[in-house]
Amino acid sequence: MSERQKRIGFAGCPPEEVLAPRRNEELVDLDNLVEGAEARSELLLPRTTCRIIRRILDNALALDLDEVVIDEGYGKCDAARGLVEVLEGLLDIPIVRTQNENREGMGTPVCDSDLPVRRKMELILEGLVRPETPKVRREPRPRAAIWGVPAADLAIYDLLPDGAQILGWARCLEHRTPADWALEMYVPEGVPTVFFAQTFCPKNVVAQHLARQHGGLHVDVDGTLSQPVRAKIEAFLRFRGAHE
Amino acid sequence: MALLADFGTTWTKLLDTRTGERQVLATRDAREQKADVATGHNARRRASRHVNELIAMAQGGERLLGEPEFLLLDVGSRDVKYVHMRRGELVGMDWTTTCGALTGFTLELLGHYYGLDYGKIQPSGKSVPVTCGVLGMEQLFELVSEGVSEEEAVARFARGIAVNAHRFIGEPEQFYLSGGMCENRLFLGSFPEGVEVRPLGRFVLVEGLAAELSRT
Repeated sequence: MSERQKRIGFAGCPPEEVLAPRRNEELVDLDNLVEGAEARSELLLPRTTCRIIRRILDNALALDLDEVVIDEGYGKCDAARGLVEVLEGLLDIPIVRTQNENREGMGTPVCDSDLPVRRKMELILEGLVRPETPKVRREPRPRAAIWGVPAADLAIYDLLPDGAQILGWARCLEHRTPADWALEMYVPEGVPTVFFAQTFCPKNVVAQHLARQHGGLHVDVDGTLSQPVRAKIEAFLRFRGAHE
Repeated sequence: MALLADFGTTWTKLLDTRTGERQVLATRDAREQKADVATGHNARRRASRHVNELIAMAQGGERLLGEPEFLLLDVGSRDVKYVHMRRGELVGMDWTTTCGALTGFTLELLGHYYGLDYGKIQPSGKSVPVTCGVLGMEQLFELVSEGVSEEEAVARFARGIAVNAHRFIGEPEQFYLSGGMCENRLFLGSFPEGVEVRPLGRFVLVEGLAAELSRT
């Protein structure tokens, strides 16, 4: 009889040498939406916790996991490090703490491609579980860009024109260098850029700063994209000529 | 020729571009109303073409004012929003439905509740902190229970909304106002001293839809 496949949840961007030996098991990215996961984090975390940290906890409690692998290095926040402690207290399974200090990038072909932006983000997120290099075409003249971490509600990406560039930590994620601050801060001049962070995320400090510096738009979203934020992004892109 | 609509939370504004006729209807009486081009609540489902509120507001301001630069504030029933345009470019904007939530709605509600004529109430020099309509109302009832007249308590509430809205848009010396609050004399007189408020009326967003028509 063959051994049962383990179900392993991971959060953030653990180092490849930690993920690779686990790819024969069922790998689940806990940062991503799992339909039906009960929102137990409402009772277990402070209200000022970002939607992604909540989601990781909800998923970890809902999925009957055999192991959790978490990046708690420089590329993650104190909330993620605190979450490791919370998970250790709640789950009776191994919690593997990792620190991804990788600086040897894998490139950013998806971030710079001509694909619709939601598809780009899906490919980047799927790439952690199945590290295949998709065949994509480079967008020579991106009409807009979006900076930030992957959003809890992917609908935000539908507001941008196809080929809009992905910047910020999501770019570091495709590059597999989550602690590469210089890459995270990279913003090309002259491209209308939406600077996004989850509500309550410390990255809002730098998102707002960069938006001022580059004449962009700073938005924060707590879970589902609201009508005012949607309208602000639409208006910003419209009056900056991003859809023409 | 088209029917343009601004489906507000409480009031629906209609403009028939063929006849020039303008109508203001209670939204509860206009649930089945459809339009060719619309903005506002559920506009996507009620018109063949939808324009978001900030874009309609910016275009409406440009159409009505024809000025190289303007700052336009809209205090609605449930939200507060503004646009700052300079030579056709959007240089500032915001829209909040949390801080400032339900302020316009609450002011209208209080007017009915106490039977007040906002044209006859003197603005107050004092204000109550109106974080949102509900919390502000709690403060107002506290004042009334302490013996402050209903008129004065509501005037302080109106000043609280006005001061918050003025801060929200960066405390300019002069700005334009859009929406139903343009018709509330108490509110217009409740902004900080020296601030010039220029009311543009309730049809600014609808004018923005007319501008949208001419784009195609």
